[in-house]
Amino acid sequence: MNGLHGVIFSYEKEPGLRELVEHRMPASIPFGGRYRIIDFMLSNMQNAGVTDVGIVLHGNYQSLLDHVGNGKTWDMSRKYGGLRILPPFADNRKYQSEEFRGKMEALAGVRSYLEEIRQDYVVLADSDLIINIDLGAVYDAHLASGADITCVCSSDYRQTEDATFFVLDGDGRVVRTLADPKRPEGYHSLEIYVMSKELLLRLVDECEAEEKVSFRKDVLVAMRDRLDVRGYVFDGLAAQIRTVKEYYDRSMDMLRPRVYRELSTAARPIRAKEDDETPTYLAPESKVVNALVADGCIVEGMVENSILFPGVTVGRGAVVKNSVLFKGVSVGEDVSVSYVIADKNVTVGRGGTLIGHENYPIVIAKDAAV
Amino acid sequence: MKKECIAMLLAGGQGSRLYVLTENMAKPAVPFGGKYHIIDFPLSNCANAGIDTVGVLTQYRPLELNAYIGSGQPWDLDRDGGGVHILPPYQSATGASWYKGTANAIYQNIGFVDMYDPEYVVVLSGDHIYKMDYAEMLQAHKKAGAACTIAVMEVPWNEASRFGIMSVDGADRITEFAEKPKEPKSNLASMGIYVFSWNKLREYLIADENDAASENDFGKNVIPAMLGAGETMLAYRFAGYWKDVGTLDSLWDANMDMLATGSGLDLFEHDWPIYGRSTNAPPAFLGAASHTEHSVVTRGCVVEGAAENSVLSENSTVEEGARVEYSILMPGAVVKRGARVSYAIIGENAVVGENAAVGSAPDGSEGWGVTVVGPGTRMPADCVLKANHMLNRDGKEAVR
Repeated sequence: MNGLHGVIFSYEKEPGLRELVEHRMPASIPFGGRYRIIDFMLSNMQNAGVTDVGIVLHGNYQSLLDHVGNGKTWDMSRKYGGLRILPPFADNRKYQSEEFRGKMEALAGVRSYLEEIRQDYVVLADSDLIINIDLGAVYDAHLASGADITCVCSSDYRQTEDATFFVLDGDGRVVRTLADPKRPEGYHSLEIYVMSKELLLRLVDECEAEEKVSFRKDVLVAMRDRLDVRGYVFDGLAAQIRTVKEYYDRSMDMLRPRVYRELSTAARPIRAKEDDETPTYLAPESKVVNALVADGCIVEGMVENSILFPGVTVGRGAVVKNSVLFKGVSVGEDVSVSYVIADKNVTVGRGGTLIGHENYPIVIAKDAAV
Repeated sequence: MKKECIAMLLAGGQGSRLYVLTENMAKPAVPFGGKYHIIDFPLSNCANAGIDTVGVLTQYRPLELNAYIGSGQPWDLDRDGGGVHILPPYQSATGASWYKGTANAIYQNIGFVDMYDPEYVVVLSGDHIYKMDYAEMLQAHKKAGAACTIAVMEVPWNEASRFGIMSVDGADRITEFAEKPKEPKSNLASMGIYVFSWNKLREYLIADENDAASENDFGKNVIPAMLGAGETMLAYRFAGYWKDVGTLDSLWDANMDMLATGSGLDLFEHDWPIYGRSTNAPPAFLGAASHTEHSVVTRGCVVEGAAENSVLSENSTVEEGARVEYSILMPGAVVKRGARVSYAIIGENAVVGENAAVGSAPDGSEGWGVTVVGPGTRMPADCVLKANHMLNRDGKEAVR
């Protein structure tokens, strides 16, 4: 056990993800051929030696529960501590039906859990972030600087929905926090925060007493003069997934060898639940190029610039290009598919054609037969 | 805790006919089919058949196997009051000895079996690739009131003299057993899979141990003894895919059967899954200029060159300009830029150096055989390893 405890937030609805979140929280959206988005943060925590992690939930979280199970995948099925699932607690009637309006409200909803944390420090993170980051280094930097709160941020300016930007001074102090700015400046927040358990509890109580709900507005902005908040600049790959377009673009990035290698570095592996699928079979006369292919697929046609999740079948004469096919998708003979995101178990019957556009990929909802 | 039926899996043999592949590990731990190990097949068959207690008898180089089996969780054999148990030879008050033979291995673990007080014991080998429902075989055993049931399959008559051959009566009761007969009277071959009524087997194991002339082997001693004493012995016919992968050629063949739709080896069926302890790796990446055809790929594979008619295991790599055909890359194997690999098995984490050439296609002009690069071997650039040759990690080359 090291001194760091993990809290992952998974309650935001993200309507920009459209059909992808019809049956699941953003955290459990499949990504990169065999992962769910939350696998990245859970693995980052595991790789930093974090053994105890709470996932704060609200909403449609069944698919997430199925996925994380008892946390064994991330070595978090432990006699003491380990993975804890935190829906709004039953004694906290206030939060039963309405969704959380902000992180501080969500934390107030699980206050009794926070009190029981065994570690002195806590790392807070969102579950919609694709990243492979050494959180141990962030923790060390936090301890070394003596800051109250350390915020991980990046110089990547790609805009996301409701982004936060930090302007830092020469010592790395956050001097301004910008909420969803029209003109971004400084560093893009990756919504990863390290602070002491003691400070976290104090902030939760103070905000609850004053009916304040937002970490950004009510802590980072409002308490700017009271708290020593510092930025930790991370320059690797980091992508918040909040719209279908972002989902699609970041998925296609995975086909770039540099990105594939960075996310799959042996030093900090990203772990996903075992699928128990047999290896993939590429038939004679199939052609699969520039593609990520998970296990259990049978490919008889052609696949290019695409990502296949486990158990996908591509029939003879079919052509799949620039697409992401989720688990169990079946593409029939002579089908042509391009710029498509097909959710779990979608079937596209023989001879069909489905063509989206790079800027507006078609999303086909789970279990649909086209 | 009482169990109706438990399994004992014989996994102690060296598998010397796999040569360099088993220099440092037991045969059941040898990788198979991209993401499996040979022992996954009997273990998964047990799990699927509802047998939740399995003793794995180990002796030769057990470390990889022990680590691989671990708690048994990947096969759902991490169970309360049962599960998978590794059983190496041990010391007792009267002395200590290695397992002298297959029957002696079980004899030395009578205490283990007795802890579960089972009615039946399934005895399995750790070197066969097949999917089989032992529960169905047990039903046949019970129905016939047999002391021992042996799984058999029909083999071509001209190959029958390589096997243990059973002659049976009209009700498939075994009337005669011959180990590798020169003139076979039947073509029903033993698959090395047995169901015993435990009280009977216990008796015969003790008698066998007391017979100083015995080799303490099931096929050579225990089965003939039971047959000679007039016990009810049933042959249980099996018609599915089964292959003994005890030789380099048969291991290569069985891997190639993953590619042949007519081979009967179908691992895509979801109602009888084969489980394994998989490494964690991202999906296979097939590069923009790669060419992969009629092959099996799995997690962690990176193909930038060309692969045809091959099995590419977890984390194996085919670099740009490299070419792999009719070959098996075991987990972590790397074929460097410009290298050629044909009709070969490249062992775990072995590296075939740049522009090296391993094996050659059979052109009929000379004898050929599978070329093997042992696990962990680092072949230098431009090195040539001919057909039918083997190379180990110490650079020792041999002709098979």
